[in-house]
Amino acid sequence: MMIRIQTDDVDVAAMIAAAKVPGTGAVVVFDGIVRDDGITEMELEAYEDVAVAGLEKIAVEATERFGLLHVSIVHRIGRLAIGENIVVIVVSAGHRHEAYDGSRFIIDELKHTVPIWKKELTRDGGRWVDGEHGHGAGKPQE
Amino acid sequence: MSVKVRFFARFRELLGTEIIAEPANGSSIALLVDGIAQKNREGYNAIFDEHGTFREFVIVMQNGKRIETADAGTVIVADGDEIAIFPPVAGG
Repeated sequence: MMIRIQTDDVDVAAMIAAAKVPGTGAVVVFDGIVRDDGITEMELEAYEDVAVAGLEKIAVEATERFGLLHVSIVHRIGRLAIGENIVVIVVSAGHRHEAYDGSRFIIDELKHTVPIWKKELTRDGGRWVDGEHGHGAGKPQE
Repeated sequence: MSVKVRFFARFRELLGTEIIAEPANGSSIALLVDGIAQKNREGYNAIFDEHGTFREFVIVMQNGKRIETADAGTVIVADGDEIAIFPPVAGG
């Protein structure tokens, strides 16, 4: 398992190579990209210690639920241009269904629970991307 | 007693990244954050409603653990604590 939050770009090929552990029959890569929604750049920030701990918890849960063999998650922070990688999730499993399901579980959980925020920078300034509203009203996360 | 208060995203822009506070013994998280947020009206209104209670979407953490906003008025801060206040998350 490899979990990181970093400003540098992501070596996706190295992550795929690391995922091919004995027993692997499928590797799924999710690569979240800065989309051109009429913005100039995107700025990301994280509550790093808590975010890394949250990503580790999600990776462990995904491994247990879907029988994954390997999980790596790299989430970037700082200023990113359109087309750059935001988050790369690489999972491996014996078969494709587990790998697809595990990958989807990780990105969905990440978006709901990990303290990371995005600001879309535009010519007129910027706007924070709305998070999952109502999350703060729920029960505390472990 | 020294407590670190960290704001993130929009709250950080309005209230500052990291504030070292020296609250009185027995201060609650809500009291501590209320006092700091008073310095910027827009920042205060982003976090607290007209009754001075945390808005329902605000997330509060004490040393990396979620505290329900409803409990923030009764949870007491301790020396060395790190309190974090942030809006709903939007990573990925």
